[in-house]
Amino acid sequence: MIRCVNLRKSYPLGHGRKQVLQGLNVTISPGEKLGVLGRNGAGKSTFIKLVGGVEMPDSGRIERKMTVSWPLGFGGGFQGSLTGYDNARFIARIYGQEYREIRDFIEDFTELGRQLKMPVKTYSNGMKARLAFALSLAIEFDCYLIDEVILVGDQNFQRKCHEELFEKRGDRALLLASHSPDTIREYCDRAMVLHQGNAHVHDDLEEALKIYEAL
Amino acid sequence: MSSFQQGARIQLRVIQALIIRELTTRFGRENIGFLWVMAEPLLFAVLVGLLWRFQKGEMDHGVNIIAFVASGYLPFVMFRSAVNRAQGAFTANASLLYHRQVKILDILIVRFFVEMVGHLMAYLFIGTVLVALDQFPVPHDLGFFLIGWLYYCLFTLSIISVIAPLSEMSEVLEKILPVSVYIMIPFSGAFVMNSWLTPSFRDVVMLSPAVHGMEMMRYGIFGDSVYAQYSFSYPWLFFAPAITLGLYLCRRLRKHMVVE
Repeated sequence: MIRCVNLRKSYPLGHGRKQVLQGLNVTISPGEKLGVLGRNGAGKSTFIKLVGGVEMPDSGRIERKMTVSWPLGFGGGFQGSLTGYDNARFIARIYGQEYREIRDFIEDFTELGRQLKMPVKTYSNGMKARLAFALSLAIEFDCYLIDEVILVGDQNFQRKCHEELFEKRGDRALLLASHSPDTIREYCDRAMVLHQGNAHVHDDLEEALKIYEAL
Repeated sequence: MSSFQQGARIQLRVIQALIIRELTTRFGRENIGFLWVMAEPLLFAVLVGLLWRFQKGEMDHGVNIIAFVASGYLPFVMFRSAVNRAQGAFTANASLLYHRQVKILDILIVRFFVEMVGHLMAYLFIGTVLVALDQFPVPHDLGFFLIGWLYYCLFTLSIISVIAPLSEMSEVLEKILPVSVYIMIPFSGAFVMNSWLTPSFRDVVMLSPAVHGMEMMRYGIFGDSVYAQYSFSYPWLFFAPAITLGLYLCRRLRKHMVVE
């Protein structure tokens, strides 16, 4: 379970500060698939970064009773100057996992072949997405934090993601930030709508989508 | 296992991984890699040593001049590059912070550690060559030298634990800091012994904790050919508050850090 209590987060903006989250409360149960809706700048990424522990809230707290992945997007999580293999080695080391297993998995999942020997900064966005996904799937978290943008790959990649994340790991929790009603309908059980620093969690997806579309 | 032990084990794992990563990103796999750390201090120590050798003769205050320059300059270069590497270190490594177990202190410690070991190896290498050429004495007391080195390292760590977060908080500081390292030269003990100075100047210089470490190292190498002056306890009056302040600043910085 992950419990967010009274999360507040602001960023400097000119001479003042922009309040992005103002007292957000939400609980994510094991296996729950929660969609995160909101317009650009509503705080979706901020929320996901806070849950992932990448940034710290101004106040409030986050209790993590299950393992949580790092936020999956194009950036972050790996280092451009290192090769795909070196990134895998690094991840294996810091998460205390066997490198060979991770290597086999990413070779199989990403299908990047020799490109894995090149620095990650030479990869296309699609290739980065494959690698980021493969690395986090190789570690086996209880909860995955995903930004939708990363899911837009080619057909083959989408099929693999679907298979690995939603079928093989169907029992894991998921936080999915998205703009697309179809994606939310397909993958999520519940959805929260972020608006003006506050979040409302709706058990009824259609209701959440209706509110989101009205914003 | 207690949660403290578990935490300590994770941090050790992270630090180990970061060291390997730092070495691969910094020096790469091709080339002479790690040996590059040695090139610059080696060149400088030899050139200045030779220059002084011709200006002042073979000995200065009873010690070999090349040995004296090398023994002073090498620790100072370690300090200087550790300070340079500490500035902006957190932003440069922001992508690592996506992994919760990586703390900003790990980043700081690892950058320092790589510089420290690199320069210690450079010292060992240069020392060996100079001993072979009969330009450097066989150390009088290696253990004593290492205690001095440790004090010098603690001084460096104290400084960078404050400078690293400050350089991220203010752009003005980020620009000023690299220059200000040179102000440290007279307060580093690199090119003189305390006993060569006038009493009033010596009192000022002795306020710098780095000088105490340097004098210990000099005694460890030259033994009784030099008159070393140092205190084991005084530098802690500087280390303890500086590191406490550094930890506080790091904590504050992390809380407000924006990670892309």
